[in-house]
Amino acid sequence: MPVGRVIGIVLAVIWSVVPIYWAVKTSLQTEADARSTDTQYLPLRPTLANYARLLTDDGDVPAQIRRSTLNIVVECGLATIVTVVLATLAAYAFARFRFRGRTVLFYAVLATMAFPPYTTLIPLYRIMSLFGLVNTYAGIVLVYVSGFLPLATWVLHNYFASIPQGIEEAGLIDGAGRLQVLRHLLLPLAVPGIISTALITFLFAWGQFLFPLVLSSDLSTQPLTVVIAALQGRHVVPSTLLNAAGVLAIVVPAALALVFNRYIVNGLLAGSAK
Amino acid sequence: MSPTRPAGVVEAPRGGHVGGGTTPSPTGRRRHSTDAGPLPYVLVAPVIIFIAGLALVPAVFTIVQSFFTVNALDPPTRFSGLSNFRNLLESDAIRSSVANTALYVVVGVTLSTVLGVAMAILLQRPFRGRSLVIAVLILPWALPGVVEGILWSGIFDPNAGLVSSLMSDVGLGGGQILLGENRVLTIVLIELVQVWQITPLSVLLVLAALQLIPDELYEAAQIDGCSRWGAIRMITLPLARPGIAVCMVQALVATLNVFDQPYVLNGAAATGATVTMQTYFVSFQNLDFGQGYALSLLITVVTLVGSLLIVKAVYRKVEL
Repeated sequence: MPVGRVIGIVLAVIWSVVPIYWAVKTSLQTEADARSTDTQYLPLRPTLANYARLLTDDGDVPAQIRRSTLNIVVECGLATIVTVVLATLAAYAFARFRFRGRTVLFYAVLATMAFPPYTTLIPLYRIMSLFGLVNTYAGIVLVYVSGFLPLATWVLHNYFASIPQGIEEAGLIDGAGRLQVLRHLLLPLAVPGIISTALITFLFAWGQFLFPLVLSSDLSTQPLTVVIAALQGRHVVPSTLLNAAGVLAIVVPAALALVFNRYIVNGLLAGSAK
Repeated sequence: MSPTRPAGVVEAPRGGHVGGGTTPSPTGRRRHSTDAGPLPYVLVAPVIIFIAGLALVPAVFTIVQSFFTVNALDPPTRFSGLSNFRNLLESDAIRSSVANTALYVVVGVTLSTVLGVAMAILLQRPFRGRSLVIAVLILPWALPGVVEGILWSGIFDPNAGLVSSLMSDVGLGGGQILLGENRVLTIVLIELVQVWQITPLSVLLVLAALQLIPDELYEAAQIDGCSRWGAIRMITLPLARPGIAVCMVQALVATLNVFDQPYVLNGAAATGATVTMQTYFVSFQNLDFGQGYALSLLITVVTLVGSLLIVKAVYRKVEL
């Protein structure tokens, strides 16, 4: 490989990991070491004290971080499950059935993907407050699901459409019902597509900030992202503790991205061929 | 639910399909022409209800209500023609946020496209460990924008941050970066954080287009005495146009609507506030929803028109 290319790849990798490294390093230092003008590029005296404080301390900030971590897991988990189940059913119908109105309905679903993310921010808030769903898990999950369904339906539709028709025809001839065919023949084949869709939905949900900022007003529903931004704004939280909270917030998405990157890449490419 | 079918029938095609590494293809669409009765409607109903109730209806709401005065401090809701839009033009904060957003867009779309194309070209040919490199490059895409603000504030910190430490350690001392002072510098630095987040998707989109270019083209070019740069200019870039168009559109949508990074790194300060931030402030702090609707509509229209212009200017159908 030419030297220039090696250097380029090394630079790209450094660019991608340095901010993460720096946060991990800071989170492993004492506040005095991290603030020292004699900068330590490595955590020379590493300590897990910040993490211990976040996970076990009774203080205000650690308690907020723990509660909002629970919230983000619940909200992302529920949103992912509902999105994937509903999108799978609809994608199967759109890919495998001919029915009146199919094209119009399919394009109506896809058209909403063209909206920029915050077009519906204010009306969604007002709808949720009309139904008393502001500051509830249900309100946040409903908004997430409505936002992620179009992409999920599109990715899964493409996946179902790529599965050869002969497989289910054999099932139908055997006398199985359409839902049995879906469950026993198509779903097993669509597992990679379903995993891709679930991962992308979960990662999108995990990254949300403005919607939950508007839709949740206190710690009963605020996800980790909202709480971390609020702590950053207060300037009284030690930077090492804030970085430890930040690392906590990226551990899950980073691990998913590293372990399942093949599924994520396939899903993103299938979803972006609009 | 189908005990009559031996498990083997279900399992057999699965291995073949997955093992074959089949990727989803939008062109593989074939339809069943069976009359299935109400079943398909039952299957699509939940998605349609969600989309209609929580996407289409709210979008119509945004359009209609932007012509109304909807203000919690000034009830009742009433038709007011173009006054929301007139007020937008008259607000200094909003005019300045429009200028800021324009700068975010120019910096972000340019940088993420250039970096995305460059990294995709670096990854075009297979090498040992390429999939690991791709996995690492995707990382920033997967992380929440808010937390990226925290990560980068450690890089930008004027006292113990990575950049100022490196600068003083190599003798360029005094080079302190302070977010929020110089407007252009503030926006460029904040946008750098967003570029960090959106470039991975650009890389993937361009790389997917590059993977379709046959090796023979490069071999023929080499035989004709074409240099490596020449090949990139004459073969790679023209044939990557579909991928580059999509990558620029996603960058445009992301940068026009940027909120998380400036909100976390610079707060409400006018040096970096964006149109989406103003939408949030006028709606949820001033409770002037009508003006918020008008701003949302403005961003939506600009995003759609901008995306179309990019597609028209950059996209070319490529037949290989």
